[in-house]
Amino acid sequence: MRKFALSFTAISLAALLSGCSGNEAQDPHVSINKNPYPSTYKPMEQLTILIKGATVLTGTGEMLSNSDVLMVDGVIKAVGSKIENGSATVIDGTGKYVTPGIIDVHSHLGAYPSPSVESHQDGNEMTNPVTAEVWVEHSIWPQDPGFEAARAGGITTLQILPGSGNLIGGRGVTLKNIPSPTMQGMKFPDAPYGLKMACGENPKRVYGSRKITPSTRMGNMAGYRNAFVDATEYKREWEKYERDYAAGKNPVAPERNLTLDTLKGVLDGDIRIHNHCYKAEEMSMMMDLAKEFNYHAGTFHHAIEAYKIADDLAKNNVCAAMWPEWWGFKMEAFDMIQENAAVVDSYQNSCAIVHSDSDTTIQRLNQEAAKIMYRANDAGFKIDEAKAITWLTLNAAKSLGIEDKTGSLEAGKQGDVVIWNQNPFSVYAKAEQVFIDGAKVFDINDDAYQAKSDFLLGQD
Amino acid sequence: MKLLKPSLIALSLLTSCSVLAEKIAITNTTIYTAGNSGVLTNASVVFEDGKIIELNPSSIKADVVINAEGKILTPGLISTMNQFGLVEVGAVSGSRDGSAKKADINFDPSYAYNAETTLIPFARKGGITRSLIAPSSWDSVFPGQAFTILMNSEFDSVIDTKTAVIANFGGASKDSRASSLIELIEKLKGQQKKLKDAEQASAKAEGDKPAKAKEPSDEEVTLTALLNGEKPLIASASRSSDLLQLIKIKQQYGVNIVISGGEDAARVKSELANSEIPVMIKVVSNLPGSFDSLHASLTTAGELEKAGVKVILFSSDSHMAKNLRLDAGNAISYGMSEQGALKAMTSNVADVFNMDAGEIAVGKSADLVLWSADPFEISSKVESLWINGEQVSTESRQDKLRDRYISKENKPRGYIKP
Repeated sequence: MRKFALSFTAISLAALLSGCSGNEAQDPHVSINKNPYPSTYKPMEQLTILIKGATVLTGTGEMLSNSDVLMVDGVIKAVGSKIENGSATVIDGTGKYVTPGIIDVHSHLGAYPSPSVESHQDGNEMTNPVTAEVWVEHSIWPQDPGFEAARAGGITTLQILPGSGNLIGGRGVTLKNIPSPTMQGMKFPDAPYGLKMACGENPKRVYGSRKITPSTRMGNMAGYRNAFVDATEYKREWEKYERDYAAGKNPVAPERNLTLDTLKGVLDGDIRIHNHCYKAEEMSMMMDLAKEFNYHAGTFHHAIEAYKIADDLAKNNVCAAMWPEWWGFKMEAFDMIQENAAVVDSYQNSCAIVHSDSDTTIQRLNQEAAKIMYRANDAGFKIDEAKAITWLTLNAAKSLGIEDKTGSLEAGKQGDVVIWNQNPFSVYAKAEQVFIDGAKVFDINDDAYQAKSDFLLGQD
Repeated sequence: MKLLKPSLIALSLLTSCSVLAEKIAITNTTIYTAGNSGVLTNASVVFEDGKIIELNPSSIKADVVINAEGKILTPGLISTMNQFGLVEVGAVSGSRDGSAKKADINFDPSYAYNAETTLIPFARKGGITRSLIAPSSWDSVFPGQAFTILMNSEFDSVIDTKTAVIANFGGASKDSRASSLIELIEKLKGQQKKLKDAEQASAKAEGDKPAKAKEPSDEEVTLTALLNGEKPLIASASRSSDLLQLIKIKQQYGVNIVISGGEDAARVKSELANSEIPVMIKVVSNLPGSFDSLHASLTTAGELEKAGVKVILFSSDSHMAKNLRLDAGNAISYGMSEQGALKAMTSNVADVFNMDAGEIAVGKSADLVLWSADPFEISSKVESLWINGEQVSTESRQDKLRDRYISKENKPRGYIKP
C-alpha cells in the first residue's frame, strides 16, 4: 500500500502549475491521506540465527528433512541443507520442526479482549447496518493477554476484524504479534486494509429485531448493493475531480465521506473484502455482487458450506477461511463437515485457510489444521503436513495481501518463524521458539522471552 | 468361536445383534483400565449382558472374539455438563430446552430430552459413551438438576434423573456474589432446622399418639439429599474466595460439593484436596476471561492432579464434545499424567456421580472404546465403540453430507443419498 500523506510540496507544485494552465487559478489540490494512523512497529533485537538439522515445512508445499534455516538482519537468507554462517547463533533443530510464523486471518483480540468486561465490548458498532467508516484498529487494547497466549502458540501475524453484526462492519487491521503499548506499534507495515462484511443471520437479526432493514436475507443483499451504488458514485465524483484538476480546471473536491472512503478503497482495489459468510448460496451471490460492482470478493470467513461450491470458489480466485468443526450454534452453521477445508483445497487455484475467530483456538491453530488433515485422510484424502501448513501460513498471507512479505520460508521473506518441539500436527506439539522479523519474541524455556501484559502484571 | 479383526467387527455385530446374550471377547489389546489395574498389555476382556465379566482370563471362552492387534482399549468416555438432546441448533429457540424461565433447584430438564439428536452420533466420534446432561441458566442460582444418559441414541437412554443439583456462584452482573452463597446457605439451614424440628416432634410424640408426618416438598427432598451428602451439588465457581466459601459450606453442612469451572482452583489446591472436593476443569480455558479467573492456565488440571484433587475434564460445548479427548491430550502436554487424564474422563466422573461405568473392571458396564492408536492424539480415531456391551456406530449426518459432495457421481447432488 502506498502512503498518501498530504504533501505540501505537491500542493504548492499543483498551485504553480495551475497558474500557467487555465483561466481560473486552481485551489490547492485535495487528496485523502490513506494512512493517517501509520505503523510505528520496530522489530525487537534481530540476531543472525541458524537453525540446523530440523524438519522444515516451508509453507510453499514442501517438507525438507534434516534442513537448515538462516535468518540475517530480520530476513530469511537461506533455507536448505548444509548452510553455514560463521557469525550466527546456531540452534540445534534435531528432532524439531520449523514452520513459517502462523497467521490467523480472523481474530478479535484487543477488540473483544480478556477480561471480557462491559467496558471492553469494542468489536461491533451495531448502530447502523453499514458502518464502513469504523476502523477496528481504533478499538484495540494492546494489553489483551490473549496476544501473549497466541504468541505462545506460534501466531506471528493476525488480522483483527470488527464483528459481524453489520452488513458492512468496518475496516480490519493486520498486526504483528508483538507487545506494544499502542496499536500503531503492532501494526503490520504496508499491509493492506481489510473490510469486514457479513452475510446471513447476524445482520438481519440485529436490525430486524429493531424493525429496521435488513430483516431478511434479501434485505441484506439490498443493503450491500445500496452501499456500493453510493460508493460507485463517490468514486466517480473523485475521479472526475482528479481528471478536471489534472486538466487545469479548478473543480470543487467531493465532500469527504468516511464511509464511502472505505468502500471506494474496495472499488479501487486497495482494501480487501473479508466476508463472514457461511452458506453456499450466499457466498455464490456475494461473488456475483463483487462482479456487479467490479471489486474482488476477497475471502469468505467461517465458510461452513464452502465444500458445496468449492469449484466456484477456486474459479473466482477467492479464499475460504474455515474452522475444523464448529457447528450447530446457528442454523447457518448446521451443515458442517470436518473435511471442509480439504475439499476446498482439492481444487486447483484454491485458497483454503484455517482460522480461529477465537481467543482459545488461536493458541492451537496447528491442532485445528491437524484435525482437518487427519479426518480428511480418514475419509480418503491424501493430505500431508507440507500441504496442511499452507492453510495457516502462505494461504493466509495471500488472503491478507502480505504474501510477498511473510507466510513462507523463502529467501527474502521476513523472518517470521516457529520452532516446534515436534511435528506441529500432534496434540503434544508446542511452539518452543517464535521469531518475528528475525527477532526472538517467545521462548518456552526462557522466561526472559515470555512477555506479560500490563493487565496481569502484579496480579499473579 | 469366531476370530475377527477389528474391520470385521461391524459385520459380526450385524449377524449377532439379535443375540444379546452373546459373550464377546476383545483380545490382544492394550487396556487402559482407568482403575487400580492401570495399563495391561497384551490383555483381554470379556463381556456379556452389558457387563464386563472377565479381565485377562487364563483362557478365552466367548461367542465372538475380536483380535485388537495390540490397539488400545479404554473405558467409554463420560462427558459432563453437556446439553445433548436439549439443543439442536443453539440459535433456534424451538430446539433449545436447556434452561427454564422459572428454574428452581428441582427443575428436571430430562422431560425435554431428545435421544435422536444429531449431536450424539457426532460426539461418539470422540469415544463418548455416557454423559451428564446439565441445565444451564445464568439468570438463576439454581438452574435445575442434571440427568444421565447413555450415548446410544436409544429412546430409553436416560438412565438416571436428578443426578446432581447445579448451582451458579461467582461474579454476577445484577447482584452481589454474596447473594447466591447466602441463598444456598439459607436453604440448607432452613432444611436442617425442619429436619431437627421433625425429629424433636417425633421424639415428643412417642408415647402419645404418633403425629402424622407431613409429606416433604420436592425441594425439601432435594435439600435433605444434599445435607445427607447423597446428591452432589455441582457448584460453578472460579475465584479462590468463592472456592473457600464453598469449602466452608461442605464442612458445615456436609454437602457433597463438586466445583465446575474452577479456573483459579490451583490457588487453593491443597484446601480443595484436603476437603476432598472434586474439580471439573475446562482444560483450554486459560485466559483471564473475568476478574474471577485471573490465574486460568493450561497447567491447572495437572497442578490439581498433583495436589491430590480428583479432577474431571469437561467442555460444555455440546456440538464439539468429541474434542474432550484432545483437551485431555493438551492437559497431558501441560503436566497431567496420561492415566490421570483418562480417569478424569472416566472413572473419576463415575465415582463422583455414582455411575456403574468408567472403568474396565469386572462387574462394570461394558462401555468400551477401541482406538486406532493413542486415544489423546489428533491422528487417532475410534475404531469401535460399545455401550452397555452393544456396538454403536460412529457415523453421523456430517459423514453423509461429505459423501454426497465428494461423490464422483455425475448427477445433481440432491439425488445422491449416501
